Formats: sequence, structure tokens, C-alpha cells
Amino acid sequence: MSNPVVEVRGASRVYTEDAVPVHALRDVDLTVQRGEFVSLAGPSGSGKSTLLNVIGGLDRPTSGTVSIDGVCLNDLNDTELADLRLHKIGFVFQSYNLIPVLSARENVEFIMQLQGVGAAERAQRAADILQSLGLETMGDRRPGELSGGQQQRVAVARAIVTEPALLLADEPSANLDSTTTGELLDLLRVLNETRGVTIVAATHDPMVMSYAKRRITLRDGRIENDSTG
Amino acid sequence: MSFALLMRLSLRNILRHRRRNAMLLAAIVVAVGGVTFMNSFIRGFQQDLRDSAVNNLTGHIKVFAPGYRDDPGIERSFYVAGDWRPDVSSGLLEGWAARIRIPAVIMSERETRGVQLVGVDPSQEGISFLGDAFYEGETLADENDKRIFVGQALVDQLDTKVGRRLVIITQGADGRNREAGFRIAGVYDAEGTGLEKAFVFTGRAALQKMLDTREVTEVSIRLTNDGAGSSVRSMLLSYFSGLEVMGWRELEPQIAAMFVFADTAIFIWFAIMMGALVFGLVNSLITAVMERVKEFGMLRAVGMRPGSVIVQVVIESSLLMMSGVALGLVVGWLLCQWMSEGLDLSQWASGVEMVGMRSVVVPRLYGADMMLVAGLSLVLGIVASLYPAWRAVKIKPLEAMRR
Ligand SMILES: Nc1ncnc2c1ncn2[C@@H]1O[C@H](COP(=O)(O)OP(=O)(O)OP(=O)(O)O)[C@@H](O)[C@H]1O
Ligand SMILES: [Mg+2]
Repeated sequence: MSNPVVEVRGASRVYTEDAVPVHALRDVDLTVQRGEFVSLAGPSGSGKSTLLNVIGGLDRPTSGTVSIDGVCLNDLNDTELADLRLHKIGFVFQSYNLIPVLSARENVEFIMQLQGVGAAERAQRAADILQSLGLETMGDRRPGELSGGQQQRVAVARAIVTEPALLLADEPSANLDSTTTGELLDLLRVLNETRGVTIVAATHDPMVMSYAKRRITLRDGRIENDSTG
Repeated sequence: MSFALLMRLSLRNILRHRRRNAMLLAAIVVAVGGVTFMNSFIRGFQQDLRDSAVNNLTGHIKVFAPGYRDDPGIERSFYVAGDWRPDVSSGLLEGWAARIRIPAVIMSERETRGVQLVGVDPSQEGISFLGDAFYEGETLADENDKRIFVGQALVDQLDTKVGRRLVIITQGADGRNREAGFRIAGVYDAEGTGLEKAFVFTGRAALQKMLDTREVTEVSIRLTNDGAGSSVRSMLLSYFSGLEVMGWRELEPQIAAMFVFADTAIFIWFAIMMGALVFGLVNSLITAVMERVKEFGMLRAVGMRPGSVIVQVVIESSLLMMSGVALGLVVGWLLCQWMSEGLDLSQWASGVEMVGMRSVVVPRLYGADMMLVAGLSLVLGIVASLYPAWRAVKIKPLEAMRR
């Protein structure tokens, strides 16, 4: 139980596709404990997304190790990584979070369905979460019929409805105005404080940083600053 | 992983691009309907070939004396007891006939023709085309009937008609020629086939008397089912020891070869039609995958397994194929109903008339053929989806995060 949710040790990520190798991450060490709300800041190209992807098992570090809930990702194959993401991690991306052919409710139920949760429980949990996010009237709409803010809230609903150990968000507010961003952040804060959801969010947005209890700044693939409070 | 979920995703994605998939569906329907329709004609042609081969006095199985086929004549004959009947269960046996069939020359006042003179017992000839031929005048009354029953085309050539007399010369059992006058009892119409010119019928007992013999040159057996042939053959071989027993495939090798070719033709047709279709299907599926790169990436990112991505694409292809096949079979069936009167090939049919085949081909739809087309199409649908599915599974989950 004392395992940290995220444990990154000496992680580097070098992109060698181009002639000049790009060091997106350089020897990063990071530990995130259960219930933390962490923001990752830093200039464009500093490695925020790369770190998030490595933590989420979407990308593999060139060297170093990543563990989620005590499970070392380096040892897992693609299918096992998929299962780990499915059961332990919720994702909110900058855009394109939702499945366009499914309604908001079906999108929220989607991950539970992948997990094999029964239909009745799924429907109940989806209804509850949509209700608590003020989306109860939007359930039958498809993503294309929702505003950007509503889509992001549905994405958050989908990510947290399964109560993952970790919620990863990459620029969740990039497509939102400040009012909607405020609503989204209020929601994340409530989730973090009342349900103990661990959150790591990469962002340029000072508003997001202000909501986070721990703020990490990256520069050139290194952690430049790590402050709490 | 929930199959129902993948099914729903696939179905919704198909419906999302209605126009594109409707076009694809139409192509499948046309191909499957066309193959089905074409197959039914090939089958109709094939069955006609066999029926006419069996009908034109061959039967499914025939017994004759050794050497008769190379040099037919009354000297190559054998005896069949009056009360003999094939030892075949009645469910398998449609009928049998013992005949004398010998070369003869037939003459009117104006013309002379070479024909085959066939002595028959009319009561046994339900098994050949003679049984249900259209005719003018009278049929032969019984095996003692001394009159002849002649084809329309031959009557035209000889410039004669019902009731007139014709002279026939043939060889008797003693090797000496017989010449006798025969009155024409009736003129049969074998629907313009070559049979009309080839066969002149008379009573078997009457012909035996004229030739001074008690024997026959052939026994023809017709079965209800082609497949029972081999067991019946061995029965006949042991009964008629020393004689030749042959099936219609050996007796009519050209027809048998065309019969086999028809089976192949069905596959060739399928391969051509569906082969072209598969490229369209693969192309369409690749488009469907590539326009959903972000979606597949996101699905993978949130935890969908690589295998499920493959299954999703395969389902999408299979759903299209299945609905196309179902509709295509219905269309093929409707076309067959519409053409149930048959297709008149008489302009091109002079070749097939020679074997006694009618020039109207009626489509025949077999459940087994439809199942084969359906089954192979579904297999093709799955095969066609493998490459697009592989493209889909190669999409990295990270694609969802990139702009
Ligand atoms: N697939 C890739 N191939 C090559 N280089 C890459 C790739 N992905 C990222 N990089 C490089 O790695 C570095 C870090 O990128 P990353 O996306 O992590 O930055 P970021 O901090 O998220 O930037 P932004 O604020 O613009 O999103 C950048 O220099 C980027 O160009
Ligand atoms: Mg980024």
C-alpha cells in the first residue's frame, strides 16, 4: 500500500528519427504519491507531453524505469500495457478524447465496458457521474453535438468513472475559455480532494498550475523546479 | 473484451459513412447477385447436358456386348430373359429398357438417309426422350408394332409424312441384308435436336422377327439419383458377365467433360467477380482506417487491446460482406425467378443440339451453391480486412495526443 502511484527513475527519452537526436527527457526522477495533484509546466518542447506519455505507458523511455502502482512498465508488452492503462490510468487529452460514433453516455460507459463491468452497474455509474458533472441532459448527444467544454467534461467523466489510480491530463484546458477552464479545474479539484484521485496535468495554463498543489517545471527535458504548496 | 461493444463500434462506423458504404454494398450485391445468377445458368446448362445425355437413349448406365460401341450391329447382341428386371431397390430405379439398335438405311421415293434403327418396347421408354416427346399421328402401340416412329427433321429430309411407307435396309442376324417397307405411325418432335435425324423407332419384337434373333443390343437403366451409379454398376457387371457395363460419363465423354468444366466455371466466375470486388473492399477499409487514425490511437491509449483493434476492423468488413451477400443472394434469386422461363440460346445452339440438348436453358439455383458463394465471400471479407486491420493495429496510441 505504501507504493507511490508514480515512480520514475532516471528516465531519458531520445528521439533519433531525425539526423540530430532530440533529448526530450534527460535522466528524470519523479515520485508522485497517492492523492497528489501535480502540474507539469515548462516551455514548449521542454518534454511535458513526453513525460506524461512515458508515465502513462504510451511511450517507452530510452533508458530508466517507470512504475505505476508498483508495477514496472518496462517489463510489460503492448497488450499488458493496454490492460494497465485500462485498469489503472484515466486519460484526458487536449482534444479528440471521445469516440465520435458513441453518445456521451456510451462514451462514459466505454471504458467500463472494456473492463467488463455489467450493464446495470455501468448505467448506474454513468448516470451518477454525468449527474455530478452537470451533464445529465447531454447523455444522448454525440460528441459533435457538444461544446468543447462539455466534451472535456465528458472526457473527465469517462476517465474517472472507473476510479483509476491515476488521472493524466495533457493540456486539458487548451481548447477551453477561462470560464470553462475554471469549471473543469473545480471539478478536478473536487475529485482530487473528495475522492482522492491522483492527478498529473501537463499545461501552459497558469490557471491550471494555480489549482495544483505541487508544481513541477521542466526545461530541456530536465526537472528544473519542483515545489509544493 | 466485449464483442457486443466492438460490434456496436463497427456498425456505427459503417453507418457514419453511409454513401461510401452504400456504394461498396451495392458492389458486393452486384457481384454476389451476378455470381449467383450466372451460377444458376451454368447449373441449368450442366443439368440439361446431363439430362439430355441420359435422355438420348443412354440412361445412367448401359449394358452392351463387347465391341458393340466400335462396330454396332446385330451380331454383337445378347439375350435378356423376358422377366428380367434390374435388382435395384425401387427407390433408386426410375426405369429400364432393352433395345435393339442397329445402323440402317432408310429410303423414301426421293431421298436416302443413314439412321439408327431402334427396336423398343414402348412401355419401357418412359426413361428416354421418347416417353414425353411431342408427336403427330400415333406412337408405337407395343413391341409387336411393325410401324415406325420417325423424327420431324428426317421426315422433312425424306419429304414424306405420317401414313406413308418407307423402305429400310439393314443386316440380319445371319449377316444377310433385310429390306422391308414400314408405314410411318407417327412423327416425333425432339425440339429441333439432332436426335430427330438420328433415330427411327419400331417395335422390338417386330424387329427381332425381321432380323431372326431373340436378342437385344443394349439394356439402358435410368436411376433416380446419379450418385447411386457405382453400386448398380457392380450389380450389373456380375449379372451380365462378359458384357460391357458403362455409365453415361464414359458413354458421352464430351458431355462429361463439359459437365466437369461447368463445376470449374462456377469457381472461375466467382474468382473474377469477387477478385475485383476485394480490391475495392480493401481500398475502402484502408480509407476507413486511415481517417480514424486519431480515434484508433485514442482507443489504444485508453486501454483497448491491439487484438481488439484488429477484431473491430474484421467485424466491419464482415458486416459489410454479410449484408452484401444476403442482399446479393436475394437479388440473384429474384433474377432467377424473373428468368424462370429460361434463356433461349437457339441462335448459338446448333452445337448443343447435336447431343440432344434443348436450346432453352433454365436457371437452377442450388442451396449448396448459394452456401458456397456465401461462405467463400465471407472468407474473402475476412481476408480482405487483414491488411487494413494490420494498418490499424500499427497506429500508435500516441497519435491521439499529437495534433
Ligand atoms: N515523435 C517525436 N519525434 C521526434 N521528436 C519528438 C517527438 N515527440 C516529441 N519530440 C521532441 O521532443 C521534445 C519534447 O517534446 P514534448 O512534446 O514532450 O514537449 P512539450 O513540453 O509537451 O511541448 P508543448 O508545450 O509544445 O506541448 C521536443 O523537442 C519535440 O520536438
Ligand atoms: Mg505537449
